[in-house]
Amino acid sequence: MSNADQFRELIEAYALGTLDAQERAALETHLATGCAECATALQEARWLTSQLAYLAPTEQPSDMLRGRLLQAVRADQSNARQPANTSTSIPVPYWLWAAVAALLILTTYSAWDSRRLQREIQATNQRASDEIAKRHALEQELTVAKLQAHEALILSDPASIKISLPCKNPAMPKLEAVWHPTMGIVVTGWKIPMPSNHRVFQLWLIPKTPGGKPMPSEMAWPNAEGKLVFMVANPPDVPGGTQALAVTEEPAGGSSQPTSTPIWVSASK
Amino acid sequence: MFLAAFSPSNNPEVSPDATLLHRLLQKDVNAFEQLYDRHSHLVYSLVLRILRQASTAEEVVQDVFLQLWRNASRYDAARGPVLPWLLTLARNRALDHLRLKGERQRRREDQTEELPQVAIAAPNYEKAIDEKRRAEQVRQLMTSLNPHQKKAIELAYFEGLSHSEIAEKLSEPLGTVKSWIRNGLLRLKEGLQAT
Repeated sequence: MSNADQFRELIEAYALGTLDAQERAALETHLATGCAECATALQEARWLTSQLAYLAPTEQPSDMLRGRLLQAVRADQSNARQPANTSTSIPVPYWLWAAVAALLILTTYSAWDSRRLQREIQATNQRASDEIAKRHALEQELTVAKLQAHEALILSDPASIKISLPCKNPAMPKLEAVWHPTMGIVVTGWKIPMPSNHRVFQLWLIPKTPGGKPMPSEMAWPNAEGKLVFMVANPPDVPGGTQALAVTEEPAGGSSQPTSTPIWVSASK
Repeated sequence: MFLAAFSPSNNPEVSPDATLLHRLLQKDVNAFEQLYDRHSHLVYSLVLRILRQASTAEEVVQDVFLQLWRNASRYDAARGPVLPWLLTLARNRALDHLRLKGERQRRREDQTEELPQVAIAAPNYEKAIDEKRRAEQVRQLMTSLNPHQKKAIELAYFEGLSHSEIAEKLSEPLGTVKSWIRNGLLRLKEGLQAT
């Protein structure tokens, strides 16, 4: 028996996969020498072995398997085509570059214009705020002017009555009230110190009615020069119904009833 | 070269599988579909016989056909006809599953994740007959063997057992088992030659 004949007997078992490790290694070493006879025999033995598959009972795989496979194959196919498309170098037409450039210019101009508009809006808002502030100042001046005119009318009208409000503290200046029957009351004082602890001076009208409670009236602070003015445009009563005027120091915002002893009080009428 | 070997225009007697493989190289999904329809039932029957579990068998069959689709360009005409090659790949994959399941690790011929470098040649006596007729031939020939021979070959083919393992399983001498298998395969070969 030749060397090839010896291995030839192992070929079918090798194709079937039944050789033990030692025999298999020996045959593979022989095949590696390039023995054409054994190589051909092995190819035919593999074909013969594959025919044993027909011994398996005939079965059909599910339609789902077919569907899954075709889905996977089609996905593979589309994936394989995508890189080919993306790798293809497509020349970009000049008009497209021009369009991109125009778009860039437009975008830059839009950004610049947007910032310019924002600045204009801010300036306009600032001007509007300034105008509103000016108008408020003018309104205040007008109100003051009206009060001063009203005050001047009261002070100069012959029908007005002068009432003195002395202070119990001799170091403090007195107040002077001028009461017009229809135009109102003006109470004025000079060199009046600012009330303590953010309090406010409040004018009271003390009625003649026995047991009548003091009627709260205007509140005021002295200005920078120490001038204190109460302007009561619409007095609640005619002078005849009022026994006296008084001024107290009250918490900021005023009180509905006096909470301290009057600093200035007019003489009872 | 594969393309030349299977080019339908050059060879009027070219097989349907060769034509389909030629188209498969062009990534023709319809060709793949036809190859699957022609051979999936036999491949599945073999894998199911080995694994005896439909869901696992379908996984293996899916893997085998996807390998065919993805690596068809590596296929070489010298490796022979498609169906025996598909059956060899499917059997190897199924036996790998079986071994992993049983935690038995033994090196097998042609284990690979890609297409096996297995050359398979149809012998001269191979005749192009339909699968139903071939199945009848093989079953008839195997029935003609003595039951021991048939059993030993089935244990080897469907369960991937070695000579030693079969001898142990059947409680027969190793030499006897070797003879049964070799003589049985030779009888099968002779029977196919004669028909």
